[in-house]
Amino acid sequence: MIPTLFGFKSMALKELIHIRRDRTTLVFALIIPAIQLSLFGYAVDFDVRHVRTAIVDMDRSRESREYAQSVVNTQYIDFVEKLNTPGEAEIALQRGDIRAALVIPADFARKYGTRVPPQVYVMVDGSDSQVANPARNAFRHPPTIPPGAISPDAVDVRVNYLFNPEIRTQIYTIPGLVGVILQLVTVTLTAFSLVRERELGTLEQLMVSPVGKLGLMLGKLVPYAGLALIEMFSVIFLARLLFNIKVEGSLPLLLLLSGPFVLAALSIGLLISTVAKTQAQAMQMTMLTLLPSILLSGYITPRETLPVPLYFLGNLFPVTYYIQIIRGIMVRGAGFTDLIWSVVPLTALMLILITAATTRFRKSVA
Amino acid sequence: MTIAPAERRNAIEMHGLTKRFGNVMAVDNISFNVARGTIFGFLGPNGSGKSTCIRMLCSVLEPTSGTATVNGYDIVKEPEQVKRSIGYMNQSFSLYRDLSVEENLRFFGGIYGLKDSHLRARMDDVIHLMGLQNYLGRPSGQLSGGWKQRLALAAALIHEPDLIFLDEPTAGIDPVARRELWDLLFELAGAGKTLFVTTHYMDEAERCNEIAYIYLSKLMVKGTPNELKALQEITPVGTRRIAVATAHPPNALVLLKRQPFALDATLVEAEIHLLMPEDTTDEQVLRTMRDAGILDGVIRPIDPSLEDVFVTLTRRLAAQ
Repeated sequence: MIPTLFGFKSMALKELIHIRRDRTTLVFALIIPAIQLSLFGYAVDFDVRHVRTAIVDMDRSRESREYAQSVVNTQYIDFVEKLNTPGEAEIALQRGDIRAALVIPADFARKYGTRVPPQVYVMVDGSDSQVANPARNAFRHPPTIPPGAISPDAVDVRVNYLFNPEIRTQIYTIPGLVGVILQLVTVTLTAFSLVRERELGTLEQLMVSPVGKLGLMLGKLVPYAGLALIEMFSVIFLARLLFNIKVEGSLPLLLLLSGPFVLAALSIGLLISTVAKTQAQAMQMTMLTLLPSILLSGYITPRETLPVPLYFLGNLFPVTYYIQIIRGIMVRGAGFTDLIWSVVPLTALMLILITAATTRFRKSVA
Repeated sequence: MTIAPAERRNAIEMHGLTKRFGNVMAVDNISFNVARGTIFGFLGPNGSGKSTCIRMLCSVLEPTSGTATVNGYDIVKEPEQVKRSIGYMNQSFSLYRDLSVEENLRFFGGIYGLKDSHLRARMDDVIHLMGLQNYLGRPSGQLSGGWKQRLALAAALIHEPDLIFLDEPTAGIDPVARRELWDLLFELAGAGKTLFVTTHYMDEAERCNEIAYIYLSKLMVKGTPNELKALQEITPVGTRRIAVATAHPPNALVLLKRQPFALDATLVEAEIHLLMPEDTTDEQVLRTMRDAGILDGVIRPIDPSLEDVFVTLTRRLAAQ
C-alpha cells in the first residue's frame, strides 16, 4: 500500500486535543523542563560551596593567615587540612581527599603591599568541572568580598588544574541542558503516543479507516515537534532570565540545526512506540536511551574523559552532536561552517533513525 | 465492466480466502457470500480465525491466497475503496476516552474525509439515530457500557458505509443495552445496510438472517438458523431430542447423563435437553427418574437449538 497523507489534518487536530486534555503530558512538557533547568542550573552554580581545600602555608605570617581567612570568608572554600609541602597536597588531591589546595610561598608577607604582588598557587582537581569552576572563581574573582578582607587584586593567584586542563565553565552546562531536556521530552511523548493507541484498541479502529500511514505518522509527530520547538525557546529564554546566558550566535541557525535533532529524537520515540507493547515498557525503553544520552554526550563530563568504548558509543546519540552545535552557537557564536563536523553526523543519524522508524512503523501498524 | 456497488446482490464474496502466519493456518480456504441487507452472524470459538478473516475483509491484512470482494471492491487491489465503504466496530470500546462524544465523531468523520457542512450533517444524523444528543460534551470514557457501544456504532456509521463489521458488539454490556443495540441493528438492516456480526451469544445468533460457523480455521456450516437446526448430523437418523421438566433439574441431569441412552444431555432454562436413540421411550426415561426418587418429570419433544448445533458440530470435529 502506498503511504498517503490522507487524514493528516484530523490526526494532528486530535493529537492537539490529547495534549490539551492530558494534564500530565502538558505538565510534563511545559513545567518539568523549567524545574529541571532550575535544579540542574542552580546545582551547577550555587550548590558547590565549601569546596574541601588544603592549605600549604610556607610563610606562616600574619599576612598569609589574613589572606587565608579572607578566602574562607567567601564561603566557597573550606580549609579542611594543613599540609607542609605542595607535594603532600598533590597526593591528597590525587586521592580525592580534597578538591583544591592553596599554596602560599614563603615570600608572601615580604612581597605583600609592594609593587610586585605576592604570588600564590592554587591546585584544583579539574576532573569535576562543576567543582573546579567555583573553586577557581573563589580564589581569583570572589563574587563577594567581605569587608576588611584582602583584595584579590593585591595577590597574584596562579591557578593550576590537575587531571583535566581543559576546564568547562558553567556556561557550557546550560546549552547542553537544553539539548538533554529537548530529547527527554520529545522521546518520551512520542514513545507513548502509539503504544497508548495500541493499548486502547484505537489503533485497530484507525487501521480499518482510510487514514494514510504517512498521515497517521506525521499527524502524530508534527504536534510534538511544534511542542518541542516552543520548549526549546522557553528554555533558552529561561536560561537568559535565570542565568544570564545569551545566545552569542545566530538564533535562526540554532532553530535550523535543531530541526534534524528534533526529528531524530522523535524518530527514537517512534521506534520505541513500535517496539514496546505496553506503556510501562515504553517508559523503561525511554529511560534506557535517556541515561546514556545524558552521561555519554559530553553534557555532564567532558567526552575526552570517557573510556574509548563509551566514547564511541556516545557517537551514536544525536544529542552528542546537538550539544556540540548548541554550545557552539550559544557560547562561541559559531557559524554553520564551524559546526559542519557536528551537523554532518547528526543529519546522517537523523536519516538512519527516520528510515528505521518509518519502516518499523509501517510494519507495526499493518 | 464493474457493477455499481449498490446493485450487487452480495455485500461480501470470498473465494478460497486463506491466511497463514508462518506454519500456523489462521484462515483455511474459506468461501462464502453474504447477501446485501442481511444481518450475518459469523460464529466460532475464540481463536478459530474469525478476527483474522475480518481483518482481511477490512483490507488491513493481505490474504496468503484466495480473493474476496467487499461491496464489489477487491480487498487486495482496492483497499482504499474497501475501507471507505465499510464501518467497523470493535469488541473493546476503541474510541478516544479523553475526547468528548462530539470530538470523537468529528475525528472519525475527519479521517474518512468528511468536512464542513457535510460532516456536520452526518454527525447530526448519527447523533439522532443513536440518541446521543444529551451526551455530546461528555468525555467518552465516562459513558456507561451501552452508551459507549452506541457511540462506537455512531462512529462506525459516520461515513455512511453500506456494510458494517461488528466484532462482538455486545460483549460485556447489560441485557437492556444489548436489546437496545440489537433494535438499532434491525433498524440499520431495514435501511438496507449489511451487518456482519460476530458473537458468542446464541440468542443473538438466532436473530441473524444467516450464520456461518467456523472452527479450526475452516468453514463448517453456513445457512439460516432453521437450516442449521435441520442438519442431518445434528440429530442423526435413529435419534431424537426431548426436554425433561422437573423441580430438581441438576439432580436429574446428573442422573440422566449417566444413563447409556443419553447421547447428549445439557441444562437449558431449567429443563434437561436430551439426545437419545429413537427407540428409547419417554416411559424409560421417566422410570429411571422415578427409581432415583424424582417423581415429577414431564417430557416433550424438541428441535435442536443453535447451541446444540454448534456444540454437536464442534465435538464431532474435535473427536476426529
